[in-house]
Amino acid sequence: MRQLQKFSPILPVILAYGVLLGIGLAYPGKWQLIAQLAFYCALGQAFNLFMGMTGYVDFGYVAFVGVGTYGMAVSIYYLYDKGLGLGLVLIGLVLAAVFSTGLSLAVGAVALRLRGAYFAIATIGVNEGFRYLVEGARIWNGADGMIFSRHLRKAVGRETAMALSTQWADIVVFGVAVLAAVLTLVYMRNKVGYALTALREDEDAAKVMGINVTKYKIIAFITSAVLAGLLGASAWALKLTYVYPEDVFQIHYTVEAIIIVLLGGAGTLLGPIVGALIYGFSKYFLAIVLPGFQLLIFAPVIIVIIVLFPEGTVGIFKKKIRGTALEKFII
Amino acid sequence: MIFEQLSGNLLQGVVLGGVYGMATMGLSLIFGVLKVVNVGHGAFIMVGAYVALILFQTLGIAPPLAVPVALILGMALGMLFYYTSIKKLLKGPELASLLATFSIGVILEEVCKQLFTSEARGYHWDLDKLDLGFTVLPYSKLIAFGGSILVGLLLYLWFHKTRAGMAMRSVVEDDEGARVCGINVDWEYALSFSIGIGLTVVSGVLLTMFIPVGINPYMGGGYTLKAFVIAVLGGLASPYGAFFGGLVFGLIENGSYTLFAQIPGLEPFAMTRFFSFVMLLVILLIRPTGLLRGK
Repeated sequence: MRQLQKFSPILPVILAYGVLLGIGLAYPGKWQLIAQLAFYCALGQAFNLFMGMTGYVDFGYVAFVGVGTYGMAVSIYYLYDKGLGLGLVLIGLVLAAVFSTGLSLAVGAVALRLRGAYFAIATIGVNEGFRYLVEGARIWNGADGMIFSRHLRKAVGRETAMALSTQWADIVVFGVAVLAAVLTLVYMRNKVGYALTALREDEDAAKVMGINVTKYKIIAFITSAVLAGLLGASAWALKLTYVYPEDVFQIHYTVEAIIIVLLGGAGTLLGPIVGALIYGFSKYFLAIVLPGFQLLIFAPVIIVIIVLFPEGTVGIFKKKIRGTALEKFII
Repeated sequence: MIFEQLSGNLLQGVVLGGVYGMATMGLSLIFGVLKVVNVGHGAFIMVGAYVALILFQTLGIAPPLAVPVALILGMALGMLFYYTSIKKLLKGPELASLLATFSIGVILEEVCKQLFTSEARGYHWDLDKLDLGFTVLPYSKLIAFGGSILVGLLLYLWFHKTRAGMAMRSVVEDDEGARVCGINVDWEYALSFSIGIGLTVVSGVLLTMFIPVGINPYMGGGYTLKAFVIAVLGGLASPYGAFFGGLVFGLIENGSYTLFAQIPGLEPFAMTRFFSFVMLLVILLIRPTGLLRGK
């Protein structure tokens, strides 16, 4: 029982995702908005798993989303005539995970030896670097990108392909969001989380205490990268059925992930969800009222948050409820 | 044939590299004094490029005359951002100042997008060309190169021959000690941030001589990456190191372009940019304190 109680903070998360999914299924007209919100929740949660827990910012994070889209694209584009049916999607997800693991190992091997500013410098070009590798060496059609809607239709039939793009891709996103939340909580509640907390507070002290900080940083870095890869495979590749290196490696998603995590509160479990809802809804309405101004409005918001409320919404709320029964459920 | 092409490209590389070096001095100055990495560095270069473009197109002002305008605008922006955000974050974790400078970059990009649309633009400053036989150098590029060296020289003189410059150097050496000696360290921080940004915006003006049509609000990202490669080449905290790093980088960039162009099936332009990223990782792996610096 006590073992289970450790994991009670997952309940509000499941509740939030359940309500979102329920609204989406009940009002098909709003499915696009719900899918967008779920994507932001998942992105925030995946980003937070590394940034929130370690205090390191990975400015090249979108590269993992990008290689993930290629995982799905490669699977459908090259294997569609092998009679695999829906297995293609599964292979796509596996490839996305493999690609993002590979890239995160390569980047992590250099970047995770470095600290603070140097880490940021090492990661800031990862998305651009990989984009230019794809374009320069003409890997996977290079700058021409891959369009595979025809391949997907041939492999699974028109109806199924349609359902995959319009609905199942988003359901997978929900799955990734839940997975990210569960992993975050599991990490928080065992050695990985404790080690990372120690490292975030004082890396030298943590090392002196005999904590293998590099090992735990790598664990968090790879997990966070794989989740991003899965998101790219589902929310981008499977949904849109095309991939262009110019689009998938754009720094936009990194900016959005940072905004979401800071709005909600870095290093908390519920934070990314709260941040994603605030950001998602504001972006949705801003797109109607002031199209094209979203980033111009949110970039100053980041500065205001870091200067005035570094704990974010959930961080502040957590302080408010300290000592009440709610405390067990909100972290 | 290839050697003639290579030597021509290398000479072009030195000329471009000098401007790259100057474009990185601001980054190194800010890191040296404040220990803040300006992740939005490229956005300030972009602002400089627009200053040159707008002054040239609307008022017909030649780019060298846009330099003082860019310097004043850049220093003003530097002061503005320093006092509204950076100052409050110096004591906080590194994460805070990184996110702040990153957001400043995004703000600048979005403001420029609203002002000038995201369409890529350019201008043509028609000057004569210097024909050397194996390569042709337009005088506009030579002026940019000369301007960069001049700026670097002025910065050196300012640091070594004036009291204000020496005060700033003392802050780099030991800010506690400088404080004890009666130097207003907070003001030195503000001033160096502002000068750093001013230099960066000026470099944007000079860089437009090398980019005939590529001026757009999002052009900065590539320059941020290049500036980081250059800065780690020369030692992150040293403006002069940055200058020499720039020369080396210009050589490597143009040299590798020529070589990649020999390999069929590769896009030399994109491969060069990929290569500069790989170079960054390799330098950080071997010697994060900078290759060009002594022990």
